[in-house]
Amino acid sequence: MPWGLLAPELGLCLWILVMLLADLAPATRKPQLSWLALGGIGFTAVLLAWQQPLWARGESFQSMLAVTHFSGLYKCFFTATAAVVVIMTRQFQRHLPAHLGAFYMLLFTALLGTFVLASMRDLLMLFLGLELLTFSLYIMAAYLKAEAKSIEAGMKYLILGSVSSGFLVYGIALLYGFAGGTSFTQVQNAFTYALTVPATAYAGMVLVLAGLGFKIAASPFNLWVPDVYEGAPTPVVALLSVGSKMAGAMALLQLLTGIFAPIAAFWMPLLAALSVATLLYGNLGALAQTNIKRLLGYSSIGHAGYLLMGLSTGSVAGAEAVTYYLLAYLFSTLAVFLVVIAASDAVGGDALEDYRGLSQRSGFLAAVMFLGLLSLAGVPPLAGFVGKLLVLLATVESGRLWLVAVGAVNVAIALYYYLLIVKRMYLDAPRQTQPIAVPAATRVTLYVLVLGILVVGIWQAPFLRWISAIR
Amino acid sequence: MITLTHYLLASALLFAIGVVGVLTRRNVLMILLCIELMFNAANLAFVAYARALGDTGGQIIVFFIIAVAAAEVTVGLAITILLSRQFKTLNADEVSFLKW
Repeated sequence: MPWGLLAPELGLCLWILVMLLADLAPATRKPQLSWLALGGIGFTAVLLAWQQPLWARGESFQSMLAVTHFSGLYKCFFTATAAVVVIMTRQFQRHLPAHLGAFYMLLFTALLGTFVLASMRDLLMLFLGLELLTFSLYIMAAYLKAEAKSIEAGMKYLILGSVSSGFLVYGIALLYGFAGGTSFTQVQNAFTYALTVPATAYAGMVLVLAGLGFKIAASPFNLWVPDVYEGAPTPVVALLSVGSKMAGAMALLQLLTGIFAPIAAFWMPLLAALSVATLLYGNLGALAQTNIKRLLGYSSIGHAGYLLMGLSTGSVAGAEAVTYYLLAYLFSTLAVFLVVIAASDAVGGDALEDYRGLSQRSGFLAAVMFLGLLSLAGVPPLAGFVGKLLVLLATVESGRLWLVAVGAVNVAIALYYYLLIVKRMYLDAPRQTQPIAVPAATRVTLYVLVLGILVVGIWQAPFLRWISAIR
Repeated sequence: MITLTHYLLASALLFAIGVVGVLTRRNVLMILLCIELMFNAANLAFVAYARALGDTGGQIIVFFIIAVAAAEVTVGLAITILLSRQFKTLNADEVSFLKW
């Protein structure tokens, strides 16, 4: 019964329609859209759980999509991210235009795009999944129609994103000409058995990597990151920062350990060099920032550097480290962004100075922010530490010790600018002392995220086992 | 006689024109048009390869790319309209509230 393989995707398609139609209901009988969206995400999660026995069999759908442990694991990550983004949107609601049904619909189409990417077995699916995800994000980034910053962010994201899609699709064309087909099996066989790999195939691979490098914000394709992060609505920034980066890293993982594995000797040094450039660009750029969303943008570039470092090992340990890193990054980043959304109205903006004395106005928000930032920086025993440790260990095994040294220096730089925020929150005097109210839904979500940061950091064994099942 | 190489060279040239156009043009509409050129360069390469390989798969992919490019232009033009209403200009240099 092949339909069972597509159950979560079909569920998402259904909910895309539900969200669009629910918005048309008369105002008196309109359902609470955020709860409806959360219901849809719960529905998808149930379908994923129901489908779980099929993962081990790794069946494919017409050699275009396949349901495996790997895809199932990442679909769980994406579903969790989308659930937190709904809570964020709920908290952010009064800044957004009235009809939110379309906004939630776009969240579901973005989620569908990531699901297609997680299951892809064909370069055509890579292209379609990526476009489905990015198109939704273009519109969501420009969603604050009355704000010049948001429109500018949407425009910049659209132009640079489309250029990177152009690179990707041209790369796919070159790979198609080389392999005579676009399915992963065909391309991988062509690379394995070719006597000499022609230059066009290498060019195709580099172009595809460039297209995906844009998604995870790797240098030199990250010029859009700070502007889009500052201008776009904050829940969308969180989705960009976690969902989109995770999708890009996952697609890179699938391609590099799959179809490009036979020419690993070619791309390993390339990714190592990009990793150094990305790490330095992100972490040195973050030092000069005065806006928290911009700073988190630069810091997310820094994290892309660690992901590239893990990918550049080309080993199983590296692939598992990247997955663990993404899991830790998911909890930490979402916690930090949820605090930014919950605090921004009360503190009066997104400038770093606005966070002065946050601990005196809301000890809870300040504490969550503190934990999230330390986890992002990689302080033990939090989740981010284990992720970074695994990535660095995998790099040591691969023998690039200079790369490990660069990674370790960057941990120190990142810790410095994260601690500057912590200092502002705890040591500086606040401008006003009125306490900040945190709604129940936001509070519960923050507790769950903090729990995630602690559990993934301290009790690694089950997660490591879960991740190593993907091979 | 026109061979595969000719088509591929034409496609590479189209792609290069598109990339250079995106980098040098300042009008948002022209930038969107240059992005279309990049997509169409890929389409040309797909069709040329499909013909040379005797495989229809590449031609089918072109339909997908055309559909995706149309969707991309739709979103792009919608944001362009917002942009021109807000900034009263289509010059990308004048639209820079956020520092690069």
